[in-house]
Amino acid sequence: MAIDPAAELPSGLDVEEIVALARRDGDKPITGVAPSRLALRRLRRNRGALAFGALFVLLVAMCLAAPLYAKHVAHTDAYENHLTETIKLHGKVTDVVSDSGVAIGPTWHGRFLLGADESGRDIAVRLLYGGRTSLEIGFAAAAITILLGIVFGILAGYLGGWVDMVISRVMDVIWPFPTVLLGVALGTALAVGGLKIGPLEVSGSSLLIPILIIGVIPSPYMARPLRGQVLALREKEFVEAARAQGLGPLRIMFSEILPNLSSTIIVFAPLMVANAILLEAGLSYLGAGVQAPTPSWGTMISVGVDHMVTGPHQAIVPGAMLVLTVLALNIFGDGVRDAFDPRAKVRTVK
Amino acid sequence: MGKVRSSLVVFGLAAAGCLGLVACGSSSSDNSSGNKNEAKIGSVLPDSYDPVLIQTNQANQALQLVYTGLVTYNHAYGAAGAKLVPGVAEAMPTISADKKTYTFKIRPGLKYSDGEPVVASDFEHTIKRLTYLGGPYSSFSSGIVGVPEYLKTKNPNADISGITSNDKTGEITVKLTAPDSKFLYAIALVSSAPTPAAKSPFKSSTTIPGIGAYTIHILNPSREFVLTQTPGFNLPGIPKGNFNKFDVVKESVPQMTQDVIDNKLDFMTEDPTGDLLPQVEAKYKDRFRLAPNPPNTYWFFLNQTTPPFDKLAVRQAVNYAIDSRALKRIFGGRLQPTCNFLPPGYAGTGYKKIDPCPYGDPNGPPNIAKAKALVAASGDKGMTVTVWGNTKDPRPAITEYLRSVMVAIGFKAKTKILDQQVYFQTIGDKKTKAQAGFTDWFSDFPHPGDYFEPNLSAKALASSPTFNFEFKSNPVVDKGIKDLAAADPSKVADKWAAIDKAVIDDADVAVYGNELSSSFFSSRMDVANCSGLSPVYKSDWSLFCLKK
Repeated sequence: MAIDPAAELPSGLDVEEIVALARRDGDKPITGVAPSRLALRRLRRNRGALAFGALFVLLVAMCLAAPLYAKHVAHTDAYENHLTETIKLHGKVTDVVSDSGVAIGPTWHGRFLLGADESGRDIAVRLLYGGRTSLEIGFAAAAITILLGIVFGILAGYLGGWVDMVISRVMDVIWPFPTVLLGVALGTALAVGGLKIGPLEVSGSSLLIPILIIGVIPSPYMARPLRGQVLALREKEFVEAARAQGLGPLRIMFSEILPNLSSTIIVFAPLMVANAILLEAGLSYLGAGVQAPTPSWGTMISVGVDHMVTGPHQAIVPGAMLVLTVLALNIFGDGVRDAFDPRAKVRTVK
Repeated sequence: MGKVRSSLVVFGLAAAGCLGLVACGSSSSDNSSGNKNEAKIGSVLPDSYDPVLIQTNQANQALQLVYTGLVTYNHAYGAAGAKLVPGVAEAMPTISADKKTYTFKIRPGLKYSDGEPVVASDFEHTIKRLTYLGGPYSSFSSGIVGVPEYLKTKNPNADISGITSNDKTGEITVKLTAPDSKFLYAIALVSSAPTPAAKSPFKSSTTIPGIGAYTIHILNPSREFVLTQTPGFNLPGIPKGNFNKFDVVKESVPQMTQDVIDNKLDFMTEDPTGDLLPQVEAKYKDRFRLAPNPPNTYWFFLNQTTPPFDKLAVRQAVNYAIDSRALKRIFGGRLQPTCNFLPPGYAGTGYKKIDPCPYGDPNGPPNIAKAKALVAASGDKGMTVTVWGNTKDPRPAITEYLRSVMVAIGFKAKTKILDQQVYFQTIGDKKTKAQAGFTDWFSDFPHPGDYFEPNLSAKALASSPTFNFEFKSNPVVDKGIKDLAAADPSKVADKWAAIDKAVIDDADVAVYGNELSSSFFSSRMDVANCSGLSPVYKSDWSLFCLKK
């Protein structure tokens, strides 16, 4: 296959990649390779990203196994306190929490593997259940962010006019607010009275509150770049063609334009999940996210920092899990971005 | 893998940065307290520097040295510190036969810290300020004849008919609407101490002179103030203090703990945080004291107007199920389990250990089986209960403990944790219908009426928000408050003790302990002889001294 280096390269591929594909596929035309397939190939070659992706899957699997661990290994649940109990450790009877309030450290055994907290609760069990909460909020909030970003980004970009003006001004209002401060203000207010919108009533301790806060506040970060992309796409020939065929605006927006935004959305998704998990931890640490006694990594760190001298494990263990999860998601997310948008990598290197 | 490596490097640098910050944060100012005439104190600063507006213990500790009342509390350790003695008045007042009129006479020749002479009418001016500005202790002046009418005029300079003063003779007469033995205890507080009318405006002020062993100089209202010995101060029976100067600085609790350990501070007004306490207690035993000062009680309120706590059996069940040993651990060991509502600090004025406790030994295990049986018999098993608490450490853990107790005895339970700033006013609002949760009480002054009236009486229910979170009064309490109002509590201690027992028998509340406050000093302070432990002020700095 002859390649003209001056010609525009398809799908953002560089010359070496096209040559490699041509060699692998013989003389078959390369137009049959879908961009997503190419992206997956690139992702497979990025072993660092794959390793951290696997680590993330492992962390999720561990958290999902929390009930099994609690029932069969730790023999307790995430809420049961053992304040006045003792356990036998190396043949010696030890208080779970001493008379002076010092909680037992890691035992490296089934019960209190990672020690106990100030209420004598098993930290390992709460860590896994807390992970479920943090991940649940992370995924649900990221889904809301992405959904709002898509809807508002496409509506503003495609319809333009007053719709664009209203949506953009609303985004302008949310955008400059410090995310954590806005989250704390909303979280604190809603934690007391809950949320009441007509017949919809959400209790102040419901996970829906932090999910909504963490999902809605960062939505401009998603909507704005998508709006910019839609502004360019709506002038493309395929959109003109769809219009000429008589397709309505909704159909064009969601069946013609949306598929063309998929790579951006896929690139954003893991980073949004990581961001949501971090925001949840921050808000819960400040008392405006997950409410006690529900465990989450943020609430566990919040409780643990008061015991940094006598029980540093109480904050370090959930902190480490949080760092690992966010690190894994970020590095995997970077890999996904490089796979779907290799030009971004080139731009970054330059 | 380059990306991984670079990410790890960034993470490592961030972690190193964090450690650096921590290290920087732990370094402290280099103000060692080497001067023998000066003591440096770490504190959470007073909530106000205006004597009529203060409420916190930190403010009381400092300002009681600056402002002395007509009568005041004896500067002494233990129960002797709760005794009333003459202050600005030359003697204890004469009380009329109907116990409604008190006559004081101020000491002749007294001067404020700014050199101005003290006149009798200054006391009425103080009561006007206290009432007009609505200070935290203003309710104690409501029993003076003419105070409600004074408030209605909305004129700060209007007369309070129940107070008459003669500046020439120094005589002050105060008439009460009804006999009330709490009156003298209340006017012994800093908030009722006379201050010069000309320099005490009807607005918050930080420059009001007082009559005290020390004079306050505010260097930075949010950072530091200094107390210096008042030249020429001489009130018989009131110590002049062993230090020329107290330099009081604001610091975080971990920082002030470290600074006392390092002898950079001589004393800290706060308790070392739960985490540092065991370490401090073990390592610095000779300069550390624990005492239940000021007298206090911690209990769980049970709203008797909402199910399931409207039933005696359910309230008894909670009392049976509470394990004070577990709560002691949550308090880091600083909890003295009790079965009484009145604290041991009221020995001689109403405290009499309830023994046996109807719900079992407060230092022993709970009776969960009995509690479960009572709940099952009540028919409310399985009901949902919301347990309320606030954010101040360790209260979330205390609240969570009560939730676990509720679950253990047969309820479905959840917690509601509010910010400390809004907690009491929220649960004190009847509309909130808070079912059960955390509360405590620290004595304003050593009179049992100060315990029962705000927390359990019908009178307390008249205000909203109220501190009577049970939202129901016990008739025995109401009758006792009325019958014993005029009597010196030391003379009717048995009757107050009987009221205490009635509250516990009726399971109006679920009491679990008295908090022990700590006092932690630098190694140069003479803790054995001059720890200053006071039942009113927690620590009386005028009793502090250095080792010889």
